[in-house]
Amino acid sequence: MTPANLLIPILLPVGLGIISFLIPSKTKLIREIISIIGAGVIFYVAVVLFRIKNLNYIVPWAGTGIDFDLRLYHFSGFILLGLSGFLFLIVLYSSIKMRGHNRIREYYGYVFLTAALANGAVLANNFVLLVFFWEGLLLTLYGLITIGGKESYRTAVKSFIISGFCDFCMILGIGILWYATGTLRMSDISVQPHGLTAVSFFLMMIGAIGKAGGMPFHTWIPDAAIDAPVSVMAFLPASVEKLLGIYLLTRISLDFFKLQVNSAFCITLMIIGSATIVLAVFMALIQKDFKKLLSFHAISQVGYMILGIGTGIPIGIAGGVFHMINHAMYKCGLFLSAGSVEHRTGTTELKKLGGLYREMPVTALCFAVCAAAISGVWPLNGFVSKEMIFHGSKETGYLIFTIAAWVGAIFTFASFLKAGHSTFLGPRTKDIPRVKESESLILLPMIILAGLCILFGVYNKLPLTLFIQPILEGHVPVGEHLDFSNHGLAVANPIAMISILCLFIALAIHFYGWNRGEKRAYLASEPIHNLPVLKMLYNKSEARFFDLYEQGVKVLKGLSYILFVGVDRTIDWIYEKFVTFIGRTFSRALSWAHSGNYANYLAWCIAGLVIIILFIGKLLR
Amino acid sequence: MVFTFILVPLVMASLMPLIGKISKKFLPDILTNITLLFLLIYSITIGRQIISSGTGIRQLVWLGQQLNITLALDGFSLLMLFLISLVSFAVGLYCINYMEHYGSKAVFYALFLLMIAGMNGLVLATDLFSIYVFLEVAAVASYALVAFGLGYDELEASFKYLMLSAVATAFILVSIALIFGFTDSLRLHDVALAFQLLNAKYLVGLCVTLFIFGFGLKAAIVPFHAWLPDAHPSAPAPISAMLSGVLIKISGIYAITRIFLNVFGLNPAISTVLMYLGVISILVGAIIAFSQNDIKRMLAYSSISQIGYIILGIGLGTPLGILGGLFHLFNHGIFKSLLFLNSGAVEQATGTRALDKMGGLAKRMPITAATSVVGSLSIAGVPPLNGFWSKLIIIIALVQAKAYGFAIVAVLASGITLWYYLIIQRQAFFGKLNETWNNVKEAPFWMSASMIILALICIAIGILFPIIIKSWLVPATNVLSAGVYYTINLFRF
Repeated sequence: MTPANLLIPILLPVGLGIISFLIPSKTKLIREIISIIGAGVIFYVAVVLFRIKNLNYIVPWAGTGIDFDLRLYHFSGFILLGLSGFLFLIVLYSSIKMRGHNRIREYYGYVFLTAALANGAVLANNFVLLVFFWEGLLLTLYGLITIGGKESYRTAVKSFIISGFCDFCMILGIGILWYATGTLRMSDISVQPHGLTAVSFFLMMIGAIGKAGGMPFHTWIPDAAIDAPVSVMAFLPASVEKLLGIYLLTRISLDFFKLQVNSAFCITLMIIGSATIVLAVFMALIQKDFKKLLSFHAISQVGYMILGIGTGIPIGIAGGVFHMINHAMYKCGLFLSAGSVEHRTGTTELKKLGGLYREMPVTALCFAVCAAAISGVWPLNGFVSKEMIFHGSKETGYLIFTIAAWVGAIFTFASFLKAGHSTFLGPRTKDIPRVKESESLILLPMIILAGLCILFGVYNKLPLTLFIQPILEGHVPVGEHLDFSNHGLAVANPIAMISILCLFIALAIHFYGWNRGEKRAYLASEPIHNLPVLKMLYNKSEARFFDLYEQGVKVLKGLSYILFVGVDRTIDWIYEKFVTFIGRTFSRALSWAHSGNYANYLAWCIAGLVIIILFIGKLLR
Repeated sequence: MVFTFILVPLVMASLMPLIGKISKKFLPDILTNITLLFLLIYSITIGRQIISSGTGIRQLVWLGQQLNITLALDGFSLLMLFLISLVSFAVGLYCINYMEHYGSKAVFYALFLLMIAGMNGLVLATDLFSIYVFLEVAAVASYALVAFGLGYDELEASFKYLMLSAVATAFILVSIALIFGFTDSLRLHDVALAFQLLNAKYLVGLCVTLFIFGFGLKAAIVPFHAWLPDAHPSAPAPISAMLSGVLIKISGIYAITRIFLNVFGLNPAISTVLMYLGVISILVGAIIAFSQNDIKRMLAYSSISQIGYIILGIGLGTPLGILGGLFHLFNHGIFKSLLFLNSGAVEQATGTRALDKMGGLAKRMPITAATSVVGSLSIAGVPPLNGFWSKLIIIIALVQAKAYGFAIVAVLASGITLWYYLIIQRQAFFGKLNETWNNVKEAPFWMSASMIILALICIAIGILFPIIIKSWLVPATNVLSAGVYYTINLFRF
């Protein structure tokens, strides 16, 4: 394989995107077949590249250190593998779910373009190139959300502005880092953050966290869950953006900046992480829409990854990265199962659903596996990665973060019990006619993802040794063991015991609420919803009081009103009234002088002549 | 060769009344427009050829025997000839429709061609007396043309114009007499040489002042401008276009520029006087313009203001300033003619020139409205139209010469210009359609065609301005910036 082959994962999806954009929207099957085969080829290329491990492709580009520099190594190869895997599954799923959509051409075009840009961003080894691909994703994100319909434009704009702000911070951070280090080549940069570079760290961290959807840059995700197509949610916020955001966060905290355990930077990351876990999970708990509930979990789970990476301890970082890939799998699976339910029933409102497990057994089973995985049920992959993060955070000595993570685990499980219970179990509601199980192409990606969740849990040695541990090579002291798999599924330690205890607490909470809600599962979270202080906070949050974007929009509107009245109208008055008045006065006076009187005119001429003679005489002297 | 520029329109003008006996409309239309097209093509092809084969070709003109009349064609003259023939060609097309019901077409064309012959002669003349003669030829034709409508206003305006011009030409003649008395010659070369040797700066100052009065009145520089707002609106619209677009520039600015720069030499005193006159004209013209209600009167005041820009640029005297002034002169010729033609189309369709009685005419006269938007934006200096570039060059030249005060006034007045042209657009063409004009029709074919041609030229020059500057303006600027030495070296025969 020559280095130029690194262009395949970027150029091939671009080509596929253009092809599927050009195929007329009436055409059946051809687009789907080409897309599935193309995505399969991309996945194959990613596998081959992952096995090669090390490749470098450099072409001089814009000068002054800005080169077209692609670098394949273990970490980027791993993310590439993940990205193309999810692309393949989503394309498979979309072939049924999105069939006949009136903007199908754009949909596939954007999906493949997203894949190309994401692959480029992962392979980029030059900051300018990274920013190029990273910003491109902003556009495809906007485009994909708008496919949801007329209502989705507002959300698309919101996502665009929030992500744009984060990206702007990242660019600023990169600029500072460039100034401080003098190079744009990512693999050459490694600094101890202090002073200016500390600012750069925080700015770039905002960029990475914003891409991953951590708080407080998350607010567009729940909106998008309602507006955007479910496959877009499964593709972008659930998998691709998590992979990219956490990839960058890991690179920032491991490579570009050398973070010391328990330094201010690490503590910041851990605070953001644990706050994201707890706040988002509380929001998730009370949701009454399946997709919206999932979207809040997509935020909450990012908290675990940030917390894990923020520990700065190898097992924590490994746990964070492992959690990233695990989360991408089960959250993607969950969104796809929600999509499968929506596909057949036409709704995702928990109130209208119920007892679907008889009619959609495969969907129910896949949901159950993924939900168990996200909740950290032994022996699935979520359990393994969460345990690693718990261990890591406990090792830092700040037990408060571990406790926050446990609280998150309790309510994660509680909310999924509620979601599963009210969708698949319980009495069958009359709102929805009898349905059939979804088509096999919809089920296949879900089955694959659920299977992987089980595989990565039961046989966690495989992903840990194959994918995760090599990432940390060179970042731990020589001689220290790098095998986390013995932690794996061990339950005979206090942390694991507490984690399992959390699950039982969640079970208790759920059944208590279920009983209080007169055996209606979708009301199971109401006791917590109605707790004195929480209720007030919830109400404010539902009214988007804590949404920085909405607040920002309000502030801007107020500011623009003040500017309109105070500055614009005033200046307008000066122009419209004052200047016009002055102008008209002068103009009238001069017009009045032009009375048409010949003698006057001649007098002016003679006066002009005399004045000029005097003036020129004076000048010539 | 060079004599063709004068001879062809002169002969056609003298034949025109006879042709009018044979055919009332058809032949005069055809022949006049052919003549004008011929002059345009001739100035582009043969004129350029003469220029490229050597600057300032001299032509000894004789009819059987040698006459003491010499004509010279150089870059500056050619630019003027090109402008005259371009504008008169468009105006000629316009007249085919416009002059239908305006009296005898043949007589009109005769006067029109006579005016062109006079201007062409003025541009080519090489001695002060010829300049004076051709100036009067063009002027006499223009008095008659202003009065062509024979209404009260027309006659009054024409008479006022005639009387003021008579005073002005008297002063020009006085100045010429003074010069002849001191130098014993009226040929530009001899005069230039003599003044170099004489070192008579007060005499030059006096002559300059008299010429400023005389030619400045023709050019309508404030305070010698007062006849123009009466005369230009009174003439038929195509003649207004010729007067404002071309005549004031040829009989005023061309003469001033040629004599001051190439014969007297531009000293700081003359330069200062010209620049102050320019700035005063810019301001006075612009300020009066925006309270006018008569569309043609507003355009006339705007001409005064734009003439100020030209005088300011040329008076600055640096090569860039001269270039900007000449470029603005050329552009103003195009877009001011266009705007007068627009006003004529509106007047013919609605019968009024009062802006407050119009309204929403764009719905009924889309071509007129669109071309007038182009013209208005050009004259207001909105990029990328031609007026923007010429004003920009003038302002850059002023800044380079550290004349910041003048530059600021030039920029501000440009804002006022935009203001009153937007008033025209809003009151005449846009906004609500005045019910009275529900049955108004777009201008006839030839009128529309000529407006479209001029609007396209505005846009084309705006986009291709480097080509225009290189091929037409740089030769003219070279002539002027060479100053007195150009005349001394090249007009020697």
